Amino acid sequence: MTSAGRWAGGLAMVAALVWSSWSTDVSLRRLIEGAPFMLDFIRRMLPPDPSVLGQALHGALQTVQIALVGTSAAAVLAVPLALAAARNTAPRWLYYWTRSALNAFRAIDTLVYALFFVAAVGLGPFPGVLAIIVYTATVLAKLFSEAIEAMDPGPVEAVQSVGATRIQVLRWGVLPQLGPEFVSFTLYRFETNIRAAAVLGFVGGGESASTFRHTCGY
Amino acid sequence: MIRLRGLSKRYEGGAVALDGVDLDVGAGEFITLIGPSGAGKSTLLRCINGLVLPTAGEITVDGQSVTGASPAVLRLVRAKVGFIFQHFNLLKRLSVLDNVRVGTLSRIGGWSTMIARFPEAETERARRALRRVGLSGLEDRRADTLSGGQQQRVGIARALVQEPRVLLADEPMSSLDPALSRSLMDLLRHINLEDRLTVITSLHVLDLAVGYGGRIIGLRAGRIVHDGPPAAMTSSVARMIFGEISDA
Repeated sequence: MTSAGRWAGGLAMVAALVWSSWSTDVSLRRLIEGAPFMLDFIRRMLPPDPSVLGQALHGALQTVQIALVGTSAAAVLAVPLALAAARNTAPRWLYYWTRSALNAFRAIDTLVYALFFVAAVGLGPFPGVLAIIVYTATVLAKLFSEAIEAMDPGPVEAVQSVGATRIQVLRWGVLPQLGPEFVSFTLYRFETNIRAAAVLGFVGGGESASTFRHTCGY
Repeated sequence: MIRLRGLSKRYEGGAVALDGVDLDVGAGEFITLIGPSGAGKSTLLRCINGLVLPTAGEITVDGQSVTGASPAVLRLVRAKVGFIFQHFNLLKRLSVLDNVRVGTLSRIGGWSTMIARFPEAETERARRALRRVGLSGLEDRRADTLSGGQQQRVGIARALVQEPRVLLADEPMSSLDPALSRSLMDLLRHINLEDRLTVITSLHVLDLAVGYGGRIIGLRAGRIVHDGPPAAMTSSVARMIFGEISDA
């Protein structure tokens, strides 16, 4: 790149930053003025009130349960989706459509899915579970499909060459290579989903959120 | 045992790998296929077991046509043809025994292989094959903890356990040092003589080919340019196959 091009690029970056800061009301003064309120917020948390502990633990347990059921179901759904979204396992048209659909659905946040499912199945933890299933399935399908594309084709070819059926090739050529990777992606999503499930309670009426709302005086 | 007629392969993008190959291989022959890299040796071997589809020509293995075969027939042909790969192509995370048992899949129906339940007889066959290639005692090791030479022996055991009629080896020694190459070549020759198996091994160096008898086929730019016993392998023939610097 020429030095003039670099300058133009740099200026455009700075301009975008200034414009975005202005649009989002970024103000150092307001942050400093707000400091006492933040301190007050923290001061009122201390010492913790043990009377809400039981309820909080119960809510926390439910949060983990929502994440557990949601992530597990999503991981199962993600496997066929990933096979349909990987260049080396799906025909070109299927690969193209699945990948585009996954990209579109992944743009929708779990929270939006939760609102959608509240309308369908009512309040409670269940719409949260459904929201996590849908969102996590699209994310895991994307991660799995990339792992499938990066897989070593050699062992797959070897299993084909002994005269194995398609399903045997998947079981003995693909699964041993990808199984451990799938498990690690799924565990990582489980962790993020625990956090997501706590927030989802605000729309769905999960217990952690309602405890939080009452004790923090919303 | 193997019959090729007018076999041609042109890859997408226009590269010609095979250009009208005719070849007849009898049962029990030991063939070394030599030629510079890019001559089409890999493509030729891969066409025989249907890993590569030819653009034109006919392939018959043990009386069964490979070209235009249904997936089920193709699986039957593949079961009869053991294939040994240049880079071993083992499942690195699986045990040595499991890698060899993969060779038995064509004989075992659906669900028991899904949950890794192999019949006792097949497991016993896999152990015998490992003994034969000199790897007894390593059954439970993870495949990627073995040395290169040992991994290729696992590859050979996986092919043997198929109880094939034909053994195809695609530059099986090129990732190994010369001493190991000789001992693996000895093993292949031994299998050929003892089991009356038809063996075709491709090599990109000449010296390994001459010492083992059988028949040497020279491939150059997708055509067979030489076919004869080791005695016929003179230096002028070798130059013709491998080419001189001037015609590069």
